[in-house]
Amino acid sequence: MMISGVALYFYTKILLEKEIEEELYSNKARIERILAQEGEFIDFESILQVKKVQHQEAEQLQDTLIYDPSQNEIELFRQLSGTKIINGTNYKITVRAMIIESEDILYAIVFTFFTIIFLAFIFLFYLNKSRNEKLWKPFFTNLTKLKNFSVRSDKPLQLVDSEVLEFHELHKELKILTSKIQTDYKNLKQFTEDVSHEMQTPLAIMQAKIDTVINDGEINETQFQQFSSLQSDISRLKQLNKKLILLAKIEKDQFTTNEVISLNKLINDTVLNFKELFSIDFLIEENATINVKMDFSLATVLCNNLLSNAVKHNFNNQSIDIKIFDRKLQVINAGEEMLSRPDQVFERFYKESRQKESTGLGLSIVKKICDYYHFVPTYSFETVHYSKKNRGRHIFQIDFSAYKD
Amino acid sequence: MKYLIAEDEKDLQFSIAKYLNSDANICETASDYLEASEKLELYEYDLVVLDLNLVTGSGLDLLKRLKKQKRKCGVIIISANNSLDNKLEGLDLGADDYITKPFHLAELNSRIKAVLRRGQFGGDDSITFQEIRLDTLARSAYVNDKPISLTRKEYDLLLFFITNQGRVLSKAIIAEHLWGDDSDLLDNFDFIYVHINNLRKKLTKEGAKYIQTAYGSGYKFIAD
Repeated sequence: MMISGVALYFYTKILLEKEIEEELYSNKARIERILAQEGEFIDFESILQVKKVQHQEAEQLQDTLIYDPSQNEIELFRQLSGTKIINGTNYKITVRAMIIESEDILYAIVFTFFTIIFLAFIFLFYLNKSRNEKLWKPFFTNLTKLKNFSVRSDKPLQLVDSEVLEFHELHKELKILTSKIQTDYKNLKQFTEDVSHEMQTPLAIMQAKIDTVINDGEINETQFQQFSSLQSDISRLKQLNKKLILLAKIEKDQFTTNEVISLNKLINDTVLNFKELFSIDFLIEENATINVKMDFSLATVLCNNLLSNAVKHNFNNQSIDIKIFDRKLQVINAGEEMLSRPDQVFERFYKESRQKESTGLGLSIVKKICDYYHFVPTYSFETVHYSKKNRGRHIFQIDFSAYKD
Repeated sequence: MKYLIAEDEKDLQFSIAKYLNSDANICETASDYLEASEKLELYEYDLVVLDLNLVTGSGLDLLKRLKKQKRKCGVIIISANNSLDNKLEGLDLGADDYITKPFHLAELNSRIKAVLRRGQFGGDDSITFQEIRLDTLARSAYVNDKPISLTRKEYDLLLFFITNQGRVLSKAIIAEHLWGDDSDLLDNFDFIYVHINNLRKKLTKEGAKYIQTAYGSGYKFIAD
């Protein structure tokens, strides 16, 4: 654009100069003819001058500045002067023509150029925009779909096909990729469940055999202790299996029988059960009534796991506080210090201490259930200063307010 | 009583049969679908212990057939799959109870006895062991026809003991029977000790000393 602008500038300039020169020559020739015919010529101020001279002069083409009183400025003129002998007299003929100033040309060109560029730009911009919109539409539609895509969902990714080859290929590959991911994910989930189920039978055999051995007699006390401990290991495996299967089932969306459950009642029932098993005080503080619509067995698991976690990690056999307020449930147990990795407390197999025999799945099941129903579980630790015995409190809270029917 | 154990795992089948046999019951076994269905066609059983996943067919089909023929036979399903659907389906089809692997033989035994007790299988509402009598409908216990007051757990415990008389029961087995899944919350089973001790005291007061300690930490309910 710049180059063509510069080129155009010079080209126009040269063209104009040539034109002016031609005009000068032809004017000169005309004057000569008039002189030859009429013998005299009236001068046109500045433009045409005829003078009688003694000597011959060579023909000369040059630029000259002449003051133009009408415009009150000095204008650039192109001037052609030459002598000619006409009817024996030596005349010097000077013809001048006003030159269009290069600045003017430049301005004209620049202005024209910019106007054209500007118009072209606007035109192209809108043209491009509308074209691109049309062209990229399938891409952006698919992008949105991709963003909303979840591996967990059973629905395959439904992408919009496009005539554009690249998009078509992208679309094809994405489809293959996502369906493969989904299948893999499904297989993995199925695998967990299958393994857990397959383990049940060998465990049953082991347990039955231990039962048989114990009842066969002929064993001593130490052996009985060992068999008993084997049995408790088996039962740990059984619990682990059960929890894994439960997790898999929640993920597979197999809990659809929702009913309205009074959380207050459920908590009280759970506490009643726990009181039979533990000699710990449970203090329930009910400042609100929470009813949620969810699967009953999952609600039971939720309360059980929260409370059992509190009992398991309770410090010094202190009382466990349960608070129900607003749309929140808090289970609080005494603890020595803040967990070292509080952000991971709801992760699978996260264990703070090695001593406790826990599967490490209880809280992750809580989290899964919460996620499933859009409850918000949080963990926080509160340091207690006024008591020496009680150094702090672990607070597990579930916020039901985000939940909607 | 005559039982059929339809279970494709030979080891498990053998252990169950052995455990149940010691109560002077007759235990027959079937290792696959065909054998089980053949035996069910040919013989009468008081109770079938039915594995849902038999190698050559589904236990549910056997159950359907049994119920179609209106056979007077209790059914306890044992399954490796503890999904609720499976359980409900089994119970809907007419199974009397459902137990998930792995289980304690004592637990299975107590479930079997409970099923048999429920009238229609020729059972009795009362269980007698020496001078002790339990009324399973009223959930009350008598020693020499004199009622003794037991807590709910103590009654369950006594019933469990009598059902599994002569067998060694570890605290874990007892805890699992009394509290089910909640029992895995317990770090130790000292808690059981309190209940057993209370029951023992109450029985001993009436002169019934049958709860014996076995191998230091287990229990056995046995007539001297």
